[in-house]
Amino acid sequence: MFKTFFLSELKYTLRQPLVYVFILIFALMEFFPMVSDQVRIGEAIGNFNRNSPYVLAQHMTILSLLSLVMVVTFFNNAALRDYENKFQDILFSTPLSKSAYFFGRFFGALLISTLPLLGVFLGMVSGTYLNSIFGWYDSKYFGPFSFDMFLNNYLLIILPNMFIAGAIIYAMALRWQSTIISFMGALMIIAAYIISTTLTSDLGNESLAGLSDIFGINTYKIESKYFTPIEKNTISPGFSGLLFQNRVLWSSLATIILLMSYANFSFKRRYRKVKVRKLSEAQPVATFDLPHFKASFTRNTTWLQFKSFFLVNFLSIVKSATFKILFLFCIIILVIDLSNGFENLGLQSYPLTYIVLDSIEGKTKLFLVVIAIFFSGELIWRDRDVNINEVIDATAHTSLISLVAKVLSLIGTVVIFHLFFILVGMAYQLWNGFTRIEMDVYFLDFFYSDLPLLVSFSGISILIQVLCSNKYLGYFIAILILFVLESVLQILDIRSNMFNMINGPYLQYSDMDRFGPGLTAALWFNLYWLLLAILGILAAGALWNRGAKSSLRERLKKAKKETPANYRRIILAFTLLWLAVAGFVYYNTQILNPYHSNATKEKLAAAYEKKYGKYKQVKVPKITDVKYQLDIFPAKRNVHVKASIELSNATQEPIDSLHFYCPKDWECSLEIPNATLVYTDQVYNYFIYELNTPLSPGQKMVMKMDNAYTTKGFGNDRGNTDILQNGTFLDNGDILPSMGYNQDLELRDNNTRRKYGLPPQEEMPKLTEVLGDSHMSNYNSKGQSDFINIETLISTSRDQVAIAPGSLLKQWEEKGRNYFHYKIDTASINFYSFLSADYKIAKRQWKGIDMEVYYDEKHHVNVEMMLDAIQRSLQYYTKNFGPYYHKQARIIEFPRYAKFAASYPGTMPYSEAFGFIMNLQDTSKNNVIDWVVAHEMAHQWWAHQVIGADMQGAKMLSESFAEYSSLMTLKSITDNPMKIRQFLTYNHDGYLKGRGGERGKELPLYKTENQGYIHYGKGSLMLFALQDYIGEDRVNAAMRGLLEEYRYKAGPYPSTLDFLRHLEPQVPDSLKYLIDDWFKEITIYDNRLNEANYRVLDNGKYEVTMEIESYKIKSDSLGNETHVAINDWIDIGFFMDEKEERLYQAKRLKFDKASSSITVLLDSLPAKAAIDPRHLLIDRVYRDNIKTLQSK
Amino acid sequence: MSTLSIKNLSKTYPNGVRALDKVSLTIEKGMFGLLGPNGAGKSSLMRTLASLQEADSGTVRLDNIDVLRNPLEARKLLGYLPQEFGVYPRITAHQLLTHLAILKGITNRSERKDLVTYLLHKVNLYEKRNTSLKGFSGGMKQRVGIAQALIGNPRLIIVDEPTAGLDPAERNRFYNLLASLSQEVIVILSTHIVDDVRELCTQMAIMNLGQILYHGSPQDAIEELSNKVYRKLVGRDQLEDYAKTYKIISNKMVAGQPLIHVLCETHPQNGFEPLRPDLEDVFFSKINTSSVLV
Repeated sequence: MFKTFFLSELKYTLRQPLVYVFILIFALMEFFPMVSDQVRIGEAIGNFNRNSPYVLAQHMTILSLLSLVMVVTFFNNAALRDYENKFQDILFSTPLSKSAYFFGRFFGALLISTLPLLGVFLGMVSGTYLNSIFGWYDSKYFGPFSFDMFLNNYLLIILPNMFIAGAIIYAMALRWQSTIISFMGALMIIAAYIISTTLTSDLGNESLAGLSDIFGINTYKIESKYFTPIEKNTISPGFSGLLFQNRVLWSSLATIILLMSYANFSFKRRYRKVKVRKLSEAQPVATFDLPHFKASFTRNTTWLQFKSFFLVNFLSIVKSATFKILFLFCIIILVIDLSNGFENLGLQSYPLTYIVLDSIEGKTKLFLVVIAIFFSGELIWRDRDVNINEVIDATAHTSLISLVAKVLSLIGTVVIFHLFFILVGMAYQLWNGFTRIEMDVYFLDFFYSDLPLLVSFSGISILIQVLCSNKYLGYFIAILILFVLESVLQILDIRSNMFNMINGPYLQYSDMDRFGPGLTAALWFNLYWLLLAILGILAAGALWNRGAKSSLRERLKKAKKETPANYRRIILAFTLLWLAVAGFVYYNTQILNPYHSNATKEKLAAAYEKKYGKYKQVKVPKITDVKYQLDIFPAKRNVHVKASIELSNATQEPIDSLHFYCPKDWECSLEIPNATLVYTDQVYNYFIYELNTPLSPGQKMVMKMDNAYTTKGFGNDRGNTDILQNGTFLDNGDILPSMGYNQDLELRDNNTRRKYGLPPQEEMPKLTEVLGDSHMSNYNSKGQSDFINIETLISTSRDQVAIAPGSLLKQWEEKGRNYFHYKIDTASINFYSFLSADYKIAKRQWKGIDMEVYYDEKHHVNVEMMLDAIQRSLQYYTKNFGPYYHKQARIIEFPRYAKFAASYPGTMPYSEAFGFIMNLQDTSKNNVIDWVVAHEMAHQWWAHQVIGADMQGAKMLSESFAEYSSLMTLKSITDNPMKIRQFLTYNHDGYLKGRGGERGKELPLYKTENQGYIHYGKGSLMLFALQDYIGEDRVNAAMRGLLEEYRYKAGPYPSTLDFLRHLEPQVPDSLKYLIDDWFKEITIYDNRLNEANYRVLDNGKYEVTMEIESYKIKSDSLGNETHVAINDWIDIGFFMDEKEERLYQAKRLKFDKASSSITVLLDSLPAKAAIDPRHLLIDRVYRDNIKTLQSK
Repeated sequence: MSTLSIKNLSKTYPNGVRALDKVSLTIEKGMFGLLGPNGAGKSSLMRTLASLQEADSGTVRLDNIDVLRNPLEARKLLGYLPQEFGVYPRITAHQLLTHLAILKGITNRSERKDLVTYLLHKVNLYEKRNTSLKGFSGGMKQRVGIAQALIGNPRLIIVDEPTAGLDPAERNRFYNLLASLSQEVIVILSTHIVDDVRELCTQMAIMNLGQILYHGSPQDAIEELSNKVYRKLVGRDQLEDYAKTYKIISNKMVAGQPLIHVLCETHPQNGFEPLRPDLEDVFFSKINTSSVLV
């Protein structure tokens, strides 16, 4: 019997085209990402095989989510087909077995549901095979397949996912017998996924996040996040670990749901509760005397009709179960997102209005668009669905009235949604005791951004529904527009937002710059889409299917014949208006502010390299002195820069010509004495001047530059985010022309380079002791300058303060503008910034140094903390490294369009979003300001006083050192060593994740090449561990030694070898191995505490036995690992508390074999034992280093 | 005094079905019955009259209004209850009738309220006026449909199979209501229930396959058949033989035996007995020309 139902389910579904269509769709969705970078699922494929088990598992988990549509279709069908065909009474009256029916149908549908995802296998295999023939992609990125890979994917991902989702949906379908409720089930699963994703944003929650994800998407991400390329290529998801646990957990839950549903299931038809009708006494019918009211049809009638239509439509939406369920979903997701979104280091921002808005937009925008699509179908087809259409259609109203009312009720619905979200947001703000609630921001943001989108999309989906001959076709097309259009545009490389309703110019509110540079563009695009939507509604009004159902062609014919003249005139007027707006938008976005498509950009970059690569070796003079005159016009977002630049020939040969590349989007005019412009290339802004008399070695000259940036109209995107109405932030690289060939303009991605016949990009100069050219330039200035003097005359509007490097010599007001004269006190590297905004200034002095914070008046809360951090840094660094050479240390806030902090001589621009608004009231948590400020302050020594030679390892001398210095200041203010471990955990995570995502080669620390995860993550860890092993003073002495040798000196610049030279004498012989292990090689530890037992001795002491395994692993640059014999000093220790905050009896022991048993006598009984309790060593699985003590 | 005149109305559906075939009728105030079997084209005709469907050719005039050319004007004078009348499930009867009253131009709020209240009383739904329509039974929904058709003093009321789902008492109420209305206006009642027409209508038409087969008063039609219809109880196996010999207009089972009615100019003898023809015989004689045996 089971077999009968099982097979009939298969036969029924397999006879329909649906399942094959789905297989094909999935095959194509996988095929394209295999052979091209244009289309991708999830993250980009890095330096590992495109057809690796990792890629397959990742894609499979993500596509599972998409396959929910099919799961709903198949399971809902299996559950409800008989009901919908009204066959159930007949079927259920036959003597069939309940279990056979229930499970036969279920497993039939389950098997079918797993078929579409097999298309992914098909796509991957065919992509690999066809690529081997056509060579679209470099074949070295394809590996062999293993059978496991497919089997495990099927058993661990496809099957469980379909089973879990299927059980939920099947149970819901049987319980409520409504397709819509089944779709809600699918939405619920998606919501659960979103919630689990929110949990992953904090490291502490990771296991929980991994277990809670129904589809295992995040679980697999977490499980594989430290995979090296080799591992990604070879390891398939296996039957142990987090993913497996997740599968077991959810499959068991699903089984329970299924069994409960089975217990509830009965063949007896569930009758809907029917209220007993109480017929009122039939009154004897007297003559019928209908009150005689005159019907009138005036303008007022039309208005009343409109209102009534609106009301009826609106009520029918908000009273529907779908609305209520969606509403609840959105609120749940929003609340969870608001309360769980962690940013850095497990910290949260204050609930600023714009932070709350980000949450609302991020989590609900898509929902609202989907709601618009769903209800547009409901509204258009409702009259027909409930069979009232003929009555309504036969009344004397104009179709347009009813349509407009439908559109408006739809909009009303989403507005209600949004308003409610705002209320939730405000409640959340108040709940957190945050009272700066900006109503205007809430509402303006809605009017500028979401509302126009929703209105336009509602209009368009209404038109689609009117044009389509059935509701589901309409849904399909609308969803296609929503999700597929963007990919199509991407593939066609069309970037114009005039084709893309969803993605307009980005509006991001900032407390400093309000809605930012994209506002004008956004408003014009809004108008453009709104007019189009109105046209759509007008067209829909003319083509509305009133009365008997007729085809689109008939309706078109009818509309042509019957549309009244004034209606035509309205359509024409709107068309003209729309065309005018479209023309204006086109003019602004394409002609005034042209941009290149991606393909053109690539071509230009490739051509640049081919054309100008020959100038790579051209000799350029060094900049030795710059005087600026900079005028910033914030309201107009214009900047005018004049500079006089002193050049000096530091080479051994005369220089006879100067090559310049002028910054893009700037009008550039250069004035070079005794020189002739001999070559101009406007496409690449490349200019060559020939000097009438060559510049001889050592000789100087002064050139003048006059550059202007003028904001014209509005662009296709948000536009320039450096030059703003409040918060302009430029650095010299944005303004000054660069000299010679500019390697930054080259194509980076090697596959793209291959496409244009270019060899892989030239590598960074190798680390070497032999003094050569590379030692003569630092990595920042690339040989075009050393330490130079800078003087600036800067002006801005009256309400703003402008800041340039150095001491403020003079300040005055002239013609309604503010003028400032700055001069740097110590020659510095050619790397500095200019800022202007309406600032408040907080000042403090420390030993003659002005500590200043320039901040927006709304962001005062953390300012004192920043001054403390500056002072603490100055104290530690001047004591341990050497003097500070500037007279001021400034932190300057800039808008949150970028999220970073940077260090320029004496000035540290710091993003609004990255510290100023962070809630740091809880002192037990990490403090991002202490950490970042100390890091940036450390750069004043490490990068500004001494900077690495332009070769491998250079960034270790600035970034690793700065990060280490920062950790040391934190250490200096904490009395608990365990607090530092929290910071270290983030650096560990950064390093291990980074090496997993490496697209090239992982290098040892001393050879890092622009690899952040090495020089920030690993570098700080290694230096921090080193000071713990050999002593803080010794590490600082080595660093100080390097500083004293190279401080503020032009070439030769130091390399990491020079640092190791200073370090070597500081390291005792017994620990010399650390220099190789940690700096010169890639070493990973695998420590485990297998058992930790204690027993109480007669004297009241505790004897603790620890069974420890210790392995040491060397990795090559691709992640191939070799175990080496261990002979290392490693800490063991105990925690007195569960939270691991009180470290007790830590000891450093030498481990010389893989397994050791250690017995320790303790006075008190700790809660936990650990190997490497402070997480000093790099260990991929740290969790197993700590165990709760068991009594023997 | 209103007149609805239909001239040469034809409509062929894209699938080739000829729904209306040169239909011409003139209808004056009073009850007009439109009889026909399923698929005769009644609903097509009704929809066309209600301006919900285009015709391929022909004209429909309600007094001086060209219904097909100027549907908006025609709709102002129309009350329409389609064959399948549904309701918005999530609003109340009162809300729905108010909505329709507004659509039908009852703009004065208090008048509208009076009217809706009056109608709700009339269709015996007043007590249910504030419950959601979702819980209404088929008959209750139909009564809402009847109420709405009367809103706005229509000059032409079209009701298509209105009594489906009504119990006998409700049916009577409704017919009384229609009858009293038809003193003033044209009421077109489409049905396949012969008795309804006999009881109510002064004028009628019989329709099949898109054509009008008879147009006149029910009495005249019955008159036409008087002394021409005979009946006989026959054996089931004899049915075929009788069909060959006589023009059977209907057969139905009486106590397990077929009772046949035949149309004959003279008394056929052979055990047949004469009977007073009723409208049903008229109906079957008009449409059942090929004498299909059930």
